[in-house]
Amino acid sequence: MSRRREGAAYIRRGGVGVALAAVGVLALAACGSSGGSSSSTSGLGSSTNSASPAAAGSSAAPGSATSGSIVWSASPLSGTGANDARTVLINAFEKQYPNIHVSLVSASSDTDTNRATLATTISGGSSTPDVFMGDVIWPAQFGAHQLAVPLSDYLPASYWSKFAPGLVQGATYQGKVYGSPLFEDQGFLYYRKDLLAAAHMSVPTTWQQLETDAVTLVHDGKVKDGFVWEGDAYEGLTCDFMEYLTDAGGTPTNSSFTTATLNSPASVKAITFMRSLITSGASPAAVSTFQEPQAMAVFADGNAAFLRNWDYAYDASITASSGGKLTASQVGVAPLPTFAGQPYPGYSNIGGWNLYINPHSKDIAADLTFIQWMSGTTAQDILSEKYGFISTVTAVRSDPAVIGSNPNFAVVPKTKLVPRPAGTPNYPALSTAIYQNLNGALAGSASPASAASAMQSAASTALSSTSNGGL
Amino acid sequence: MTAISADTADQIVAQPKLVGRPDVNKRRLARMGWIFTAPALIVIAAVTIFPIVYSVIMGFSNVDVTGSGFSLDGFTFSNYNLLLHSSLWRSALYFTLYYTAVTVAVELVIGTCIALVLERLAAGRGWMMALLLVPWSMITVINAELWAYIYNGTYGVADYIINALGLGNPVILGTPTSAVIGLMIADIWKTTPFVAIIVLAGLVMLPQDVYEAAEMDGASGWYTFWHVTLPLLRPTIALAVMFRILQAFGLFDLPYVMTGGGPGTATTSLAVLAYDALFKNLAFGPGAAVAVSAALLVLLGCLATLRVFRAQVGQEGN
Repeated sequence: MSRRREGAAYIRRGGVGVALAAVGVLALAACGSSGGSSSSTSGLGSSTNSASPAAAGSSAAPGSATSGSIVWSASPLSGTGANDARTVLINAFEKQYPNIHVSLVSASSDTDTNRATLATTISGGSSTPDVFMGDVIWPAQFGAHQLAVPLSDYLPASYWSKFAPGLVQGATYQGKVYGSPLFEDQGFLYYRKDLLAAAHMSVPTTWQQLETDAVTLVHDGKVKDGFVWEGDAYEGLTCDFMEYLTDAGGTPTNSSFTTATLNSPASVKAITFMRSLITSGASPAAVSTFQEPQAMAVFADGNAAFLRNWDYAYDASITASSGGKLTASQVGVAPLPTFAGQPYPGYSNIGGWNLYINPHSKDIAADLTFIQWMSGTTAQDILSEKYGFISTVTAVRSDPAVIGSNPNFAVVPKTKLVPRPAGTPNYPALSTAIYQNLNGALAGSASPASAASAMQSAASTALSSTSNGGL
Repeated sequence: MTAISADTADQIVAQPKLVGRPDVNKRRLARMGWIFTAPALIVIAAVTIFPIVYSVIMGFSNVDVTGSGFSLDGFTFSNYNLLLHSSLWRSALYFTLYYTAVTVAVELVIGTCIALVLERLAAGRGWMMALLLVPWSMITVINAELWAYIYNGTYGVADYIINALGLGNPVILGTPTSAVIGLMIADIWKTTPFVAIIVLAGLVMLPQDVYEAAEMDGASGWYTFWHVTLPLLRPTIALAVMFRILQAFGLFDLPYVMTGGGPGTATTSLAVLAYDALFKNLAFGPGAAVAVSAALLVLLGCLATLRVFRAQVGQEGN
């Protein structure tokens, strides 16, 4: 066979491949959309949106649509059945906008599965879900891959000024805001008031004091485990690490997220301390396999004196239906400690969720109405007063009625916040570089110094290219 | 013929031209066969062949995920080059290989022993088989959750038993060696029955006259097992090994649920690595390359097993 014929054969095979690919994309697009035959064109990148940025500027004001239908993807928040927070929010929205119908798609409560589903659905061209709830660490990745609408193209600058400081910055990638903050979350220190009082201990303000107190309480047989936190190889460990690292004066990357700075004395100090929590007996060895539910269960069962967890942990500790065996008088909440010699309090990592819009959505005008309503007083009051989520809106946060509804809210203004280095689309690989190596050190299979060096090397690989997937 | 409707069948018979012209008849039947199987073939092509071909294409492309679909750009070896220089890929490959080797070997030995016992079981064989199949029929993710509960470092049953025996307070999934062993035990518990059932089917099919001849020659039970049963069973065993290699090489559910690939990267299999690259990092080029590399290796493993299998079949006739 001549070279030319080979080439022709290759092209023909390529043609079949492309045809197959087109069929596949069409099939995916058809599968992904809930309602329509017209979705097939969007799979090939020629989607038409009902409200383009230009149109939004020239015609009706964004968010003024009063009719339409929206598919909202959100993972479970709190409550079940008629008390499900998502259902309660939808009902309240539909009461105010009777001609906009919202249907809920319950997304996976596993954040990575949720992200994978959304990324493949949206890149397949599906027009649904129109609006999706996504993690605060997604804007760069979703923005870089055009999996979310740049909301700042539609919403005026004044819209963003109502949010608490730092949240809009966290939702921004390359100058555009991709997510509308829905609720905030952050690390807290939960402690057993009764145990500390009986041992004449004050609430620890330094990590060293917390370690000593935890060891003493365990040693004296007052409690089974001292301090429980999230040490498994997963995203939550990166959150915990950010707190120790920042307290030690370190940073994971430079400010433009292009160079890793993880092989630093501060990093080694943070890793050494986290490992020492296990070797000293302040934390059980099993903490290196704990995610939030395991840490939560140990504390809520009354088997730990201290817990680092997110805002839901207070209610979960004292609510019998959530497995809590403690009472309100036993559980205290405080800002996280810091290392000795640093100003109290320590840093709390920022978590929480935003609302994003699918670029293929057929009704962006209605989507905008929905997300604007969700950052309004009615929705934010429901989220914070009824369900205990920290509002993203400054006015709601400072409302005395809201502050009085949950002891966490009084602590929030006292905390110092640090975000994860999520300003790069390579954040998932960067985070994996951190938690994989740190988890190895917690398990004792690497020294803190070699873990810091391995972290640095893997993080540098992750940041070096947009397409290597951390390999 | 059941697939052909009565009307069509009548038409075929009623057409006088076809009588005495078997070639045409055959060709028409063949065409009809294709028409009837076409829907199934299209479904198979869409859900199996297309994704496989597409993955291979992705592995050789610079893939970008965008809001308007995947953009595949150029032909490149860079994804595979990335793998060859990646310590993560090498450690995942090493873990997957030795995990496969150990679990398949252990399952084979225990499975064969169970099958030999079952074959001799005069009463209750059906019951025993049904009970044996319980772990095998369990969904792997549920199996993984079950073992994660058993191994739990604070309230796990295994932890309690080891502690009660005075062997300390180990966190089974918390150190690399014990986590790997823990995963292997979970795997062996679940899949040994599968091997046992296949080997049992082989045992039942063995010709009795060979055993009678061995008995007449005064061969001991042990001798008969090594020199008669095992050689005759080799094709069956090869089949079981092949199935198990196929499954074990795709190891995903157990580490994904139980360890997240940790501690460190101790239980990161190729499938977990591919998942991370594909769905966490949206790096579809490198992710597809990892998946294809795993598929190629398992294909090689199976071809090797098949070779042994064929060789054994050949020797049987001698």
